[in-house]
Amino acid sequence: MTPSDRRLPGELVFVLVLLLFAATALWQAFRISGLASWSAPGAVPMLAALVMLVAAVRVAVATMRRPPADVPPGSTLSREFGHALVPRVIVAFTLLIVLYMFALEPLGFVVASFLFLAAGMWVLGSRRFIYNAVISAVSLAVIYVIFQTAFSVVLPDGVLKGVL
Amino acid sequence: MPEAVSYFFMSWTSPYLLFLTAAGTFAGIYVGAIPGLSVTMAVSILISFTFKWSVNEALALIAGIYLGGVYGGSRSAILLNIPGAPAAIATALDGYPLAKRGEAGTAIGLTTVVSVFGGFIGILALAVGAPALSNLALMFAPRDYLLLAIWGILLVGSLSGKSLAKGVFAGALGVLIGMVGLDPMTAEGRFTYGSVQLTSGVPYVAAMIGFFGVSEVLAQLHFLQVTPVKQDVRHIVPSWGLLKKHLPLATRCSAIGTVIGALPGAGGDIAALMAYDHAKRTTKHPSRPFGEGAYEGLVAPESANNAAVPGAYIPMLTLGIPGDAVTAVIIGALYIHGLKPGPMLMLETPHLFWFCVGNLVLANLFLLPMGLSGIRIFAKIVETPKAILLPLILVLSAVGTYAIENNPVHVYWMLAFGVTGYFLKMYGFQVGPVILGIILGPLIDVSYRRAMISAGDEPLAFLGEFLTSPISAILVAALALTVLSQTRLWAATIGRLRRAPTT
Repeated sequence: MTPSDRRLPGELVFVLVLLLFAATALWQAFRISGLASWSAPGAVPMLAALVMLVAAVRVAVATMRRPPADVPPGSTLSREFGHALVPRVIVAFTLLIVLYMFALEPLGFVVASFLFLAAGMWVLGSRRFIYNAVISAVSLAVIYVIFQTAFSVVLPDGVLKGVL
Repeated sequence: MPEAVSYFFMSWTSPYLLFLTAAGTFAGIYVGAIPGLSVTMAVSILISFTFKWSVNEALALIAGIYLGGVYGGSRSAILLNIPGAPAAIATALDGYPLAKRGEAGTAIGLTTVVSVFGGFIGILALAVGAPALSNLALMFAPRDYLLLAIWGILLVGSLSGKSLAKGVFAGALGVLIGMVGLDPMTAEGRFTYGSVQLTSGVPYVAAMIGFFGVSEVLAQLHFLQVTPVKQDVRHIVPSWGLLKKHLPLATRCSAIGTVIGALPGAGGDIAALMAYDHAKRTTKHPSRPFGEGAYEGLVAPESANNAAVPGAYIPMLTLGIPGDAVTAVIIGALYIHGLKPGPMLMLETPHLFWFCVGNLVLANLFLLPMGLSGIRIFAKIVETPKAILLPLILVLSAVGTYAIENNPVHVYWMLAFGVTGYFLKMYGFQVGPVILGIILGPLIDVSYRRAMISAGDEPLAFLGEFLTSPISAILVAALALTVLSQTRLWAATIGRLRRAPTT
């Protein structure tokens, strides 16, 4: 059942974090209603957290048994982690998503999405700026029309209040 | 009886209802196919949009979207490795490898025909078996619902990965997330920490779009350099020989799908996975190894998940209990329109039942031509570079999440789940069990407590009841079998039995 391949960079830390999370969940679930009765509001949360904890322990043990991650000479574990799990493009794109989310209401759906689309395409490797902008604009128009008319979804106006 | 016939054909003979069913099916296919849009989300939005319509019109549109959507998820599963709907998770396992081999057209054609076939089997079961099934299900006690829910999560956890422990962890995590909010029985807050947001619970659609859409988008960022394989979408209509070969499997899996769809809370997603598992266990000589493009790996889940749609209608119409998440939303709509889903529905308003059956047949018929066409356009979409496609999917995901309650906080949840799901995926966990845990968590909670209370809060009496009631005993056995089949003890025992000398 346990493959004898090497761990991925950061895997042990991740699994131990999950273990800690499971233990915390169990503690928090306990605080709901303690050990009052078998049918208390806290019963299922505690049982679920307990199951999670047991599973987490098994996963942790299995992970620890595997040989550690492959770190080529001249590199460090955290650098390998960055390379394998969070390469620059993922970090950049995720940050872009965060900015997009925060900009949704103040800037409005149309403006925020357009900026996100154009910037996102560029970040992900499409360097044809005009092409990106055109595709973004067209698809945005289609999405907007469909969601406003067919689904009557109210999307935030933001900066374009009164214009659309 | 003649009345039933006239209600059956109601959506066939009224031009407007005909149009709505067709439009629904068509839209459903694309909603289901586009990752970031979910059938549940579309149906939820449509329920609010169609409040002012007559109930028949609303049901016609929704039936089309539901059936089309469950099928549509297979398209993006095959072409993008992103299941458009949870019911298509199993389809991606063999569908995407097939696409990588350039056989996307065959894959799509096969899934279409097999889905329609599965739909018909499910509808047949609905029409013939609903009364009988409702009698049986009336005997289900809360503990049986508890067993079903746990079994469902275990199945998802054990079928789609190598590690049962990781699957169980994911399922338990989902259940815990589903516990956040107000306790349905005592109205006290659990895991709410004084926040108004958390009191209404974790938004399910944000979780689903986050775990299935955003996390996959992030995962695909590793493969930006990979140019999308040019798809051969010419040979779409599958040959008769190919269909005939897989007909027995399709029939068995449709039966599985119908039964699972009929089980409360378990819908197309579990049906697809169980059918896939069944196919893996029973196909001695698959066309290719499973996971590398076996046709059986497509036939099984797709016939099952489409059969599960009419299957899910069974408990919805006969018991007022959702067969899955979508039917849960539909039940809400029925109440709004003044109907009472439940055992009395068949007696008081039999026309509704027959209307639904006829409507589903119609939608299923539309599925065939619609599924086999429009693929060139869809394939062109797939051939767009990922750098263009992924931001668009993200925007659609954000809109889909925002649209439910016009609440930007849901979009934050979506991203949080997306990032969590990404790391879980990278380290070998499955996200399917998490979502199932979120949906079924409340059912597990309430069923467990009802069963425990009726056992007088005595754990021994509680456990004893599982063995004394025949239905419960069967379910316990099924559950135990699922768990045991994953352990090394089982494999060793089977191995020893096989090696035993035969006289």
